[in-house]
Amino acid sequence: MAYVAVSGGEEAIEASIRLLDYYRSGTDKDLELDALVHKFGLLIEKVMSESGLYAKEYAALALKQCEGSAEEAVFLLRAYRSTLKRSHYTNAVDTGKMRIIRRISAAFKDIPGGQLLGASYDYTHRLIHFERENENASELHEHFHKILAEQTPEKVQSCGRVSDMLKDEGLINRFPEDNTEPYDVTEKLLEFPAPRSARLQTMTRADTGFLSGLAYSVLRGFGQVHPTVGELRSGYIELEIPYPDSDDTIYLGEILITEVEAFAQSEDKDQLKLASGYGAVFGRNENKAIAMAVIDRELERGGDYAAQDEEFVLTHGDCLEMNGFISHLKLPHYVTFQSKLDAVRKTRRKQENEEC
Amino acid sequence: MEKKRLFKILSRAESTDVIQLGKKIQNKYPVMVIKKPEKALAMIKMREPVQNSLFYLGEVIISEAAVSIDGTVGRAAAMGDDFEKTLNMAVIDAACNKGVFEDENLLLEWEAKQNELTEKENAMLQKTKVDFHSMDSEVTA
Repeated sequence: MAYVAVSGGEEAIEASIRLLDYYRSGTDKDLELDALVHKFGLLIEKVMSESGLYAKEYAALALKQCEGSAEEAVFLLRAYRSTLKRSHYTNAVDTGKMRIIRRISAAFKDIPGGQLLGASYDYTHRLIHFERENENASELHEHFHKILAEQTPEKVQSCGRVSDMLKDEGLINRFPEDNTEPYDVTEKLLEFPAPRSARLQTMTRADTGFLSGLAYSVLRGFGQVHPTVGELRSGYIELEIPYPDSDDTIYLGEILITEVEAFAQSEDKDQLKLASGYGAVFGRNENKAIAMAVIDRELERGGDYAAQDEEFVLTHGDCLEMNGFISHLKLPHYVTFQSKLDAVRKTRRKQENEEC
Repeated sequence: MEKKRLFKILSRAESTDVIQLGKKIQNKYPVMVIKKPEKALAMIKMREPVQNSLFYLGEVIISEAAVSIDGTVGRAAAMGDDFEKTLNMAVIDAACNKGVFEDENLLLEWEAKQNELTEKENAMLQKTKVDFHSMDSEVTA
């Protein structure tokens, strides 16, 4: 059989793209971006985290455009981001100054500044609230607006880190300030062994499911067993860039992040110390931040398990790359498949001839 | 007023208020746009506490602009894509740099309201603080 390359299908493709709008047209109700931003906050934060771009309204628009597909939204945001010029690098953010909205420790009950539960689904009954089907959104908005107005203001105070307590006791190593410019995986190809900055950047923009699955494998025995969440904190950090020709800065705004320090055994054979893993992500993606901290520790330690293999972890978790590669399997492989088919037919014919 | 504080107040202020304040300056002084507002990216540099090193967390979309009043330059950059607000932030900055900004008290009023709102939200958050007082104290040694 001869190999035949084919072209065509343009009209069918155009009709297919039009059909996507048909699928969004099943109702005459629109999804307002403002409502998406405020009511689908966690999804938007997940998409921003996986795209490496903090832009709530843009993430909401991307989700609206693609029927809520997280991976398509990540694709759209990454593509859009590539059209913009990067003009600035922020001054290094010290998360010790975070305006905290939630902070817990699984290691100590008494931590400096106390444990602040903030808003969390951890303590809810997982029951569907059917009455929310007909929720009055403006009533809800007004209700909390009134509650907020009635509060007695309380000064915001930053909190020391839980790990500082252990560093003060010499139970965790304290490192000198390292001001090496970070490696930027959006501009340079990863090389192995990867610098710590490349690892952290790759993991913070990784697919949430990939990191969670890997961290789960660690907890189930394919790695170190059960690290302890020393501290999980969510809150706002302020972004600043230098004001030209001065020591002053321009405040750009604040972003919501979650960061985690997980404590685990160190490599120290006498077991006299603990070691930490670190995770930090956009938004309130707590499980992703915990998973990142678990894997950070595994990578530092190294070993034979998947979560300890730097190349495995860092090259298979990018949402865009993994979905792009899997998705390419849907594209026509007519020529290569014909070739495979020919090989099988040839082998069968050879076998049949030998049997005769 | 130091720049960080100025931009924090302006960034958190309502767009319409900032535009109104900027227009007031534009009506009084000749403002030349040096750099029209445009979108750009800022890469976020973070310090991680485990090895005290730096890494990039991700990028943020900002808009930035520059103007001048009689040769005195004013600049602005802020998260988001509110071009008109950013342009007027640059106008206010130019007026500050030239020493002709007259509404610092208004900015301080805005700041007080912004801080009050943040502190009221903090009051709601503080109600979720766990009280462990009935349990034993931590064994640290």
